[in-house]
Amino acid sequence: MTSTSSSAWARVQDSPWFWLLPAGLFLLVFYTWPLLDVVRLSFTNASLVAPDYDYTFDSYRRVLRDPSTLRTLKVTFLFAGGSVILKLVLGMALALAIDAGVKRGLHGIVLVRTSVLAAWVIPGVVVGVLWKILLSTSSHGLLNYWIQAAFGNSVGFLTDPDIALSTAILANVWRGVAFTMILLYAGLQRIPPELYEAARVDGAGAIARFRFVTLPTLAPVIFIALVLITIGGINTFDLIMALTEGGPARATEVVGLRVYQQVFQFMNLGRGAALAVLLLAVNLLMTLIYLRLLRINRKTD
Amino acid sequence: MSQVTIANVRKTYGSATIIPDVSLDISDGEFVILVGPSGCGKSTLLRMIAGLEAISGGDIAIGGRVVNNLQPKERDIAMVFQNYALYPHMTVADNMGFSLRLSKVPKAQIAEDVAKAAKILGLTALLDRYPGQLSGGQRQRVAMGRAIVRNPQVFLFDEPLSNLDAKLRVQMRAEIKELHQKLKTTTIYVTHDQIEAMTMADKIVVMRSGVIEQIGAPLELYDHPRNLFVASFIGSPSMNLIHGRVEGGHFVSDGGHRLPLPRATAGLEGRPLVYGVRPEHLALADDGFEVEIAVVEPTGSESHVLARLGDNDLTCVFRERITLRSGDRVRVRPEPDNIHIFDAQSGDRVIQV
Ligand SMILES: Nc1ncnc2c1ncn2[C@@H]1O[C@H](COP(=O)(O)OP(=O)(O)OP(=O)(O)O)[C@@H](O)[C@H]1O
Ligand SMILES: [Mg+2]
Repeated sequence: MTSTSSSAWARVQDSPWFWLLPAGLFLLVFYTWPLLDVVRLSFTNASLVAPDYDYTFDSYRRVLRDPSTLRTLKVTFLFAGGSVILKLVLGMALALAIDAGVKRGLHGIVLVRTSVLAAWVIPGVVVGVLWKILLSTSSHGLLNYWIQAAFGNSVGFLTDPDIALSTAILANVWRGVAFTMILLYAGLQRIPPELYEAARVDGAGAIARFRFVTLPTLAPVIFIALVLITIGGINTFDLIMALTEGGPARATEVVGLRVYQQVFQFMNLGRGAALAVLLLAVNLLMTLIYLRLLRINRKTD
Repeated sequence: MSQVTIANVRKTYGSATIIPDVSLDISDGEFVILVGPSGCGKSTLLRMIAGLEAISGGDIAIGGRVVNNLQPKERDIAMVFQNYALYPHMTVADNMGFSLRLSKVPKAQIAEDVAKAAKILGLTALLDRYPGQLSGGQRQRVAMGRAIVRNPQVFLFDEPLSNLDAKLRVQMRAEIKELHQKLKTTTIYVTHDQIEAMTMADKIVVMRSGVIEQIGAPLELYDHPRNLFVASFIGSPSMNLIHGRVEGGHFVSDGGHRLPLPRATAGLEGRPLVYGVRPEHLALADDGFEVEIAVVEPTGSESHVLARLGDNDLTCVFRERITLRSGDRVRVRPEPDNIHIFDAQSGDRVIQV
């Protein structure tokens, strides 16, 4: 009989490590190692073109002294902040509308939900290209074609440095509002309907019910959405790459894009890595806040 | 005056008729309990009175004013929900004062009213707590506090005690009744627990499948159930029902057992009937009919005995402690004044002997 060997095998199978091994290896090879390598490279003056490099703090020093770093950070936070506010407000409006529609058994709701979700599953690059086609000032820009026909002049959605960032934010919101909507909609489902009924009996109108029942009950979810959207916003790269490539006049150059440019345009691996590590630090901070909120949530449940 | 008048009220959901036609008068200060099995439409009726559910037909008037199309807040009612429905992020005081705050009552006045209600319900020490920090009974009391702070014309309760354990339920039952005696506010209370109904109500409304089967004072329903449904629903343990027919001045069960009928029963001969007698109206007596003991359950104050009469189960409640055992045969006799005869087909009571 193979009972001893099979029981040893069973013990191996019982251990959680056995089951975590494949994913752990995968993470180690494809995430942890490259991550550590980026940290290592940030302390070098490595370049994509020269094979040799030295270890130095120079990359950090130059990144921190570079005035465009500050501008990039500012653009990033404006982009992320604008996206967060709009996504939360619009996401909330959509979630409430869909919730109300579903409760009333309206038919159009499925259509609304599907189209919002469709925008979400389209890759950022494609969204960027789509919006570029829609908003371009050149002859193939759809919207400007109509504006031109109606008013005789065109709007530089993507070419005016004062407007381009707003355009990028709008495109990002259009793309990602579904995520917020799903989070908030799920949160709404957890509010007991009797709470609204009690509020109605207590004399609360729709606005008072939102303010005194929906908002406070949903607050934990809202905070979590806030952190997640912020992380997403700070890390945006693909959409902007396709939409504006950081232009015009670097008005939409977010950190992710700048890392890319440092490395692949200026071939400056060390400085790109240093910038990436800064981005990583911001992300870590946000993640810590997120985990904190999760724990608070679990406690109040 | 805050009487409630329900006239020919109907409720349909699409093609499903939940309440075909209900009429009910509730006078000022009355404590009325809607009782019936699950799904009979009690909550629906209560929620239509509250304005949480639209009515499909008929009229509902509160204090002489038809409220069919009024919002809940305009109906001057307060409601206590089964799972309390307290606002989780508000303190007990804020929960109780919420309606006053919405109607822009000055803060000082709110605090005063809340303090008064809290005192009545023994909640003064808990005013700063959040609902999550309260026990079920305390939450229930806060929910009641929220209702009485507003001093409404009518209180509506929907199974307010069903989430509490048995002991607390008995205690809260007494508290609610006491509260009603103190405030004398018209109260409509929904439960599926007939003991709650019997102990608290001035008037019980027994419902089945959206239809009112009988309306009456608790003891009236107990003594004079209008039909088999009410007879078996009211009273615990429930009434013994034996199918049979009347032959030669006796009731003869389908199993051939003869049961006494103390008075003239002319005109009942021949048709299928149901003989009803409550467990507490059976007594040990040498001149009774013979039954076989199956189970004896002493509760301390009385003895519950499950016996068999042919194919029929017969529950008896005896005041005295008895030393019978399973398999013993004894003779029992129904109290002659408490025998009910129902028509087996319609279920209606035929006579009360
Ligand atoms: N929104 C609805 N749509 C369709 N049918 C409904 C709806 N709400 C309730 N019903 C039906 O109406 C009937 C009465 O429901 P109701 O809640 O009034 O019962 P109840 O007497 O309060 O029962 P319980 O003791 O279980 O609370 C049930 O058969 C239920 O299925
Ligand atoms: Mg109910």
